[in-house]
Amino acid sequence: MVIKHKNIFKTESPWSDANQLMLCLDTGSWRTERPVLDKAKCNYCGLCALYCPPQCMKDMGDHYEADLAFCKGCGICAHECPKQAYTMSPEGDFTNES
Amino acid sequence: MKAKKGKVSVLTGNYTTAYAARLCRPEVIAAYPITPQSEVAEQLSSFVADGSLDAEIVEVEGENSAMNVCRAASLAGARVFTATSSYGLVYMYDTLLETAGFRAPVVMANVNRETPGIHAVSSGQQDMISTRDSGWIQIIVENNQEIIDQIIMSYRLAEDYDIQLPIMVNYDGYYLSYLSEAVEIPEQSDVDAFLAPLKKQPQRPRLIPGASTGCGTHGMEMGYVEARYKHWSALERAKQKVDDIDKEFGEYFGRSYGGQIEEYKTADAEIVILASGSAAGSVKTVIDAKRAEGIKVGLVKQRLFRPYPEERLIQALKGKKAVGVIDRSLCFGWKYGPMCMELKAIAPDIGSMPILSYIDGLANLDITIPHISRVVDEVNAAAKGKAYQDVTWIPME
Repeated sequence: MVIKHKNIFKTESPWSDANQLMLCLDTGSWRTERPVLDKAKCNYCGLCALYCPPQCMKDMGDHYEADLAFCKGCGICAHECPKQAYTMSPEGDFTNES
Repeated sequence: MKAKKGKVSVLTGNYTTAYAARLCRPEVIAAYPITPQSEVAEQLSSFVADGSLDAEIVEVEGENSAMNVCRAASLAGARVFTATSSYGLVYMYDTLLETAGFRAPVVMANVNRETPGIHAVSSGQQDMISTRDSGWIQIIVENNQEIIDQIIMSYRLAEDYDIQLPIMVNYDGYYLSYLSEAVEIPEQSDVDAFLAPLKKQPQRPRLIPGASTGCGTHGMEMGYVEARYKHWSALERAKQKVDDIDKEFGEYFGRSYGGQIEEYKTADAEIVILASGSAAGSVKTVIDAKRAEGIKVGLVKQRLFRPYPEERLIQALKGKKAVGVIDRSLCFGWKYGPMCMELKAIAPDIGSMPILSYIDGLANLDITIPHISRVVDEVNAAAKGKAYQDVTWIPME
């Protein structure tokens, strides 16, 4: 048997490191809507990053941005944001590939 | 280098198990008492109480928690030990799967006893058979000396960096658990020396306070497939390791058991009996008697149940004229006993020959010398072309 698969886990046992984010699944393809940030409302508190289930929020220095390759569009960031800075927008409204 | 001769003591199988575990210096022990295993837990507790074993005993409310504690401690880097039986083993079923899936090198003694359904507080291998596909390495031993030696060898195998798998060491409840035999207990310094190579390996991943790591937390799609493939591959690798460790143990301590299988007078045998556990000793006695009558019969004692010792069995049985398999358990929904059913799966590789299935020794019924003698006679007749019965429940006839 020729193994073509590239290992996801670095260890023999299935260990994950949350600091490297648990990004190994194609969860981005599940999304029907995406979080769009109004930077004027964002105070960089980080709650969206804390609550994000796939842990895909990228720290941009003064705000956070969802990595669309992994964001599954669950909307929890928008729900938890104390400033209501996120709006969930349907994917059909975007023409660019994510 | 050879180990010193150990002190010989007369011990029951259960006390032997506790002595064996102490020699391996486990750091965490969690075991819930259940007949016929209880003395193992009791004796380990008294070792900790009298200061002769420096381990943390976690008193749990059941076997499910016992295995959860052992797995967690193992993932934190500790060496762990536990023991159970029957109802206890099946009560920890989900955690058995997790322990294997997380690749936690837990060593557990399982004192074989019949399983739920019919409340028979008696010997039988059905408990071990019921956890066959849990992903554990499963080994069956024959006597008290083999218990102590196999538990020591099990740590070398479980904690081997290339293996990282839990191991269940099975011995017959009642027959061995309460049977007193003379047992040579190796010296502590010699066991330390035998286990020392484990310290030179790369450290396996472990839980570290403050580090955001976890094991088995996710593995969907290809993550799952990869983890299963690695687990499956480790079990395949374990077969050769069992042989290697047994050989090394033999060179050092002067006792070895054949590794995956023990062969007794098989080299020139025309027919072979396949058995396991304490019954194998009785089979050897019958073989000697039958050979005196001119029947060329041998024994294959199956020690490794999982992973299946396919290659060794093919080597031992290829070209024989007939095989009789004595199972001390059932394979519900398949007419043959479990070990017979599995042997039939490799029948193309051992050649076409009659394979006779015998069910005996359930619920503490003895696999007696007359029973085994009858098996040998029937297998011998089948080898000569006589008609035979596929499956025989010996106590029912």
